[in-house]
Amino acid sequence: MRFQDAARDGRAVVYAGIQADPLVARAADLLADAGQGERIMARAVMNGETTDPGTWMAMFPTLFGPDRVGSGRARSEAVLAAALEVAERGEAVRSQFRGAIVEELTARMLARRVGRGAVRRERRILFDGVRAEIHPYDVTVERDGAPEAYDCKWGARGISDDVLHQLDDARGHADDEGEALRTSLVVFDAMRSCDVRLSRSSAPTDGTRIVALETLDTLAAP
Amino acid sequence: MTQETGGTVDAAIDRALRAYEALAELGEGVEDEWSYVQDLADAWRSRLEAVAATRADEPLDPTADAAVDAAIGEIGQIDDPHRAIDWLSTFPQVMLLALGERP
Repeated sequence: MRFQDAARDGRAVVYAGIQADPLVARAADLLADAGQGERIMARAVMNGETTDPGTWMAMFPTLFGPDRVGSGRARSEAVLAAALEVAERGEAVRSQFRGAIVEELTARMLARRVGRGAVRRERRILFDGVRAEIHPYDVTVERDGAPEAYDCKWGARGISDDVLHQLDDARGHADDEGEALRTSLVVFDAMRSCDVRLSRSSAPTDGTRIVALETLDTLAAP
Repeated sequence: MTQETGGTVDAAIDRALRAYEALAELGEGVEDEWSYVQDLADAWRSRLEAVAATRADEPLDPTADAAVDAAIGEIGQIDDPHRAIDWLSTFPQVMLLALGERP
């Protein structure tokens, strides 16, 4: 098996511009260091209606209450500010920003474990005698003997049979070539919601790890 | 708009579940996701009802009570069924955090 850069069509070029937006990197940096409460807040704000910070601060008293001071409070405020910037981009664009942020967050978490050089974006995986898949993987870890492939979703609703089949097929093809490819689906949503979505799927899931909001930090864990 | 404040955990969850019901009805507008909306709402409703049953008339901190009302106000503004489906997952998580529970 081997990794390869995905060919860029017009849509990919546009999306690459969003991926390169400094706001994506800033939000991913903040969310990589955030706690679960801050990640839930970011999820709410980035898909919220109001852009008034006071409303959100009232909604999350555990993050902005009077007892919350110092660096923790500052981090929560920074997460809120970045999430509001995403929300203010407008409906058409912010869904793309959200997706790009989840991907970048995944890449940054993985880099803490394997080093930045091993983490790649938008890569296809080619197997001998197997027709190449159309869609690239959002994030890959490319190391001899320990390859990994990740797809990333903003919400549980994004979990589809297609993506589960693609991950499972890749793992199976790698196994046929004697490679242990670790496949995961990162979902910026609660595991409970993921479980509901998965319970409705007929696609194979045994070999694919689901990484939800509660377990994001495991991406960086040895 | 006047928002009622019950001051107890089960009263707050009762208000939240009524708002959640309206959110689920909005999400049902996406026909392809109708049964997913039902399952998703059932799963989270059960979680919130379990908290209400356990903590019942436990007094709720005023800031938590206000947080519940802020979240209810937020989902009350949603008019897009696709966004409603996303919030069927988000809203209960916000509720549980406000109530000091693990989402």
